[in-house]
Amino acid sequence: MRIEHWFYRFPLRLKSIFRRRRVEDELDEELRFHLEQKIEQGIAEGLSPEEARYQALRAMGGLDQKKEEIRDTRGIHWLTDFVDDVRYAFRSLRRAPGLTAVVVVTIALGIGMTTTPYSMLDALVFRPYPVPRPGEVVTLVSTTRDDGFDDFSYREYLDIREHTKSYDGLIANAPLGSVGFSAAAGETPRVRGGMLVSGNYFRVLGVEPTLGRGFREEEDQVPGRDAVTILGPDFWKRELGGDPSVVGRTIRLNGTDFTVIGVAPESFPGMLLFSRPDFYMPLAMARLFSSDPKKDFFVDRDDRQLSVKGRLKPGTSLAHAREEIALLARDFERAHPQLNRDRGATVRTRFQMRTRGDDPNWKFSVIFTVLAVAVLLVACTNAAGLLLSRARTRRREIAVRLAIGAGRFRLVRLLLTESLVLACLGGLLGIAVGYAGIKALQTFSIPSELPVIIPFRLDGRVLAAAIVMSVVSALFCGLAPALQATRGDLVAGLKSDDGDASASGRGRKRLWGRNALVVAQIAMSLMLLAVTFLMFRGFQHGLLEGTGFATDHRLLVRFDPRLIQYDAAGTQRFYEMLAERMRHTPGVESAALLQSPPFGLDDFDAVAFVPETFQLPRGREHFTAAADTVDEGFFDTMGIPILRGRGFRPSDTEDAPRVAVVNAQFAKHYWPDADAVGKRIRLDGPAGAPVEIVGVAANIKYRSTDETPADFLYLPMRQHPVPRMVLLLRSPVDPQELVCTVKDAVRSLDANMPMLETRTYADLYRYHTVEGPRVAVNLVGTMGAVGLLLAIAGLYGLVAYNVARRTREIGIRIAIGAQSSDVLRLVMGKSLVLVGVGAVIGFGLGLAVEQLMNSMLFNAGGVDFLVYLVVVPAMILVAMLAAYVPGRRACRIPPTLALRAE
Amino acid sequence: MLPSETDMSKPNDLILGTLDLLLLKMLALQPLHGWAISLRLTAISGDVLQVSEGSLYPALHKLEQEGWIKAEWKQTENNRRAKFYSLTRLGRKQLETETANWKRLSSAISHVVALAEA
Repeated sequence: MRIEHWFYRFPLRLKSIFRRRRVEDELDEELRFHLEQKIEQGIAEGLSPEEARYQALRAMGGLDQKKEEIRDTRGIHWLTDFVDDVRYAFRSLRRAPGLTAVVVVTIALGIGMTTTPYSMLDALVFRPYPVPRPGEVVTLVSTTRDDGFDDFSYREYLDIREHTKSYDGLIANAPLGSVGFSAAAGETPRVRGGMLVSGNYFRVLGVEPTLGRGFREEEDQVPGRDAVTILGPDFWKRELGGDPSVVGRTIRLNGTDFTVIGVAPESFPGMLLFSRPDFYMPLAMARLFSSDPKKDFFVDRDDRQLSVKGRLKPGTSLAHAREEIALLARDFERAHPQLNRDRGATVRTRFQMRTRGDDPNWKFSVIFTVLAVAVLLVACTNAAGLLLSRARTRRREIAVRLAIGAGRFRLVRLLLTESLVLACLGGLLGIAVGYAGIKALQTFSIPSELPVIIPFRLDGRVLAAAIVMSVVSALFCGLAPALQATRGDLVAGLKSDDGDASASGRGRKRLWGRNALVVAQIAMSLMLLAVTFLMFRGFQHGLLEGTGFATDHRLLVRFDPRLIQYDAAGTQRFYEMLAERMRHTPGVESAALLQSPPFGLDDFDAVAFVPETFQLPRGREHFTAAADTVDEGFFDTMGIPILRGRGFRPSDTEDAPRVAVVNAQFAKHYWPDADAVGKRIRLDGPAGAPVEIVGVAANIKYRSTDETPADFLYLPMRQHPVPRMVLLLRSPVDPQELVCTVKDAVRSLDANMPMLETRTYADLYRYHTVEGPRVAVNLVGTMGAVGLLLAIAGLYGLVAYNVARRTREIGIRIAIGAQSSDVLRLVMGKSLVLVGVGAVIGFGLGLAVEQLMNSMLFNAGGVDFLVYLVVVPAMILVAMLAAYVPGRRACRIPPTLALRAE
Repeated sequence: MLPSETDMSKPNDLILGTLDLLLLKMLALQPLHGWAISLRLTAISGDVLQVSEGSLYPALHKLEQEGWIKAEWKQTENNRRAKFYSLTRLGRKQLETETANWKRLSSAISHVVALAEA
């Protein structure tokens, strides 16, 4: 019934929308036909033609009213009215091009400033996984006693898969930072990113390869048997030219031949935000890519490298899944008390995973977005202020419309349509501004071996958000002026252009609204500037404090001999020979080997230890500290002073007594009153090997310049061999000049050895401490500056307008004997009050936000009184100027003229 | 002028909604143009049901927009172009419903009236 109904209705509606002319003509003809018939009838009854015509028209009861009534039956008048309104809006905006331009640019700045950070927020927090039904995919995490997150080991994954019932498939994957790829044997391998995945990975995620097939379950059963790989779409296009016959080909990964069985689709760039796997390999091939020779992926229950995700079964609640996995974790703890002590497990949604407490990126994006919305608010209040003054100048027009019978709702709609048109124009321009901002973010390059994907983009989701923001802005800045303009006293509106002149209560209320706008703007922009200063100071603070080691004149080259199948002994030999050779190379002042350079992208190893003679708190098995494996040249080459004891020596070999160097913070932490040198710690637990502390090194910064000093442990390379190391060289000249020397030395040792990453330390440091923060400070600084500009423009406009409006009053005051100075004091005093109130609120707001940011991100501490000291006087100056110029003019006008001004 | 205008749009001498029923019924018999409908209305109901010519057209257009009647331009018997309305399938259903409603209502009312006189 309903559908059939629309079957008749719909064509009629369409016809009345798109063939409006024709429908109108037909209506005319129909009514004319009726009239003519009626007139003929009248004449036939003996009336004169005029009389008959008159009678006929009378009987119809007003042709135009009838037509209007009939038009209403079409049910599309809301649309035709809207189209008319838009047309009218364009016409009336064209009549005030200056105002239109200012409002459009204001809104564009606001929308543009918001779009860029929102694109970050969307990518980091809201964007769904690129798989079908992404909402079902949840992440299982292992939790440690201090609420930390951890991955699962392979054995744990197998158990979870067997014992849980809440999921339609559980997948596991482990991202691989560096896979040595060569298209053919004998070619020097290049480093690419890969991902170990369980056999059901693509099937459970619902991703269908564009070429070839997905993994089979049996390809993930026997360790090391099935060397098959699925290529990532980017890699396939970039490195293999999108070759459609790639399936069945062989490529070498870490020296082993893998058969390409498929290519992942373009729509699936992987589950990670910042990187895209180039190859997917079955978990069963894990040994080939293992980074820790001491652990066995398939055996050790504490080799926790697997991120486990599952598709919740429809109808299974998250709470139920959590209960199930928590119970299972308790079973694990019971079965393996040593390995799973105090270890729980839980289920997290995508949103929960993305908004982890230890990840600063999303917090920055939230802060940016909130600040940007503040700018948008300032922009909207400005636009509202402008529209408000325009609405005033249109009072008479609106009064006339009301007087001849326009409904108030209809007029509000008309005015709102105008602001909608403005906001849409501003929104379009703003999207362009936002696009430029996003492009600028995308050019930001991060120094790393593998390309880091910048996931921020202007996609449909961000675009939709920008459009919604535009429409909301239209409502926000248009509603108040529209309501105000249509309210009120018709007679006064018709009589005079200036309804406020009566200084009625209503007028005062209206002024109150505008004053509130200015106060809000001042407060917002003060807050923004305070945050800008805080961020700048936070970063600057770190920069000034320095790192504790020298970053200039140093070159870093990363190696991973496993990529060309070196065994552990061969790897160590290679490193020793390399360091030896470099130390005897002219132009090299000193050389060192280390696993993870401070300020690098790799995180440090965490080492568990028990200090001897130190009472462990109850229920605590061991402490952990970050650690790095270094050789004997490290402290000298880095320029880190040894405060007590000694650094490492070449004699600290595998057979020698085990030794370690700690940093000053470590020494102070565990032996506050004694000398740490000579004390012993046991690595890995109370039963671990005893290690003697032979030296205390000065504290340095490890991850960021604003970190607080943390415990740190240095272990000698020969006693803790690691496969991936970085060669660090110090040179008296530009370190780039050493690159060729290093290349020659490496080639003479092994012509096939890849140099994975070559850059100066200064570069690495600049990215961490200058580039990244600079982007952040620039972003917030731009917001603050735009906010301040807008606020100043708003303040000036309001004050100047208020003074100009009082020209007549000023004339009267002067006529009855006031001095110009009195008048100036009068008009300026009021602006000062506004600035004062705004400053106080802004101060409070800024204080609150600074507290929040200090607790979230920085430990810069303190309050930037400087901001207020600079900005508040500047605002006062602007307000004075804005009052002075028109005030001065008003004073100069002869009273007789001023009184007649309106 | 103003009060008479309201008079004409909402005929208070015609029970609300019955104009629709009358029009549907008339068009169920044969397709008619507006003028013919207006003549016929006067002829059938005489002075009892006064439907102003003005309110006829909004009513017709409303029925058309509802999809109960459809319009077609055709020649009249004296070769003038006129808009002829005829019933749609949907309109026929609507006529049945409204007729049933009307019968229920009128029988109920005559029942009440009869009671009052007894």
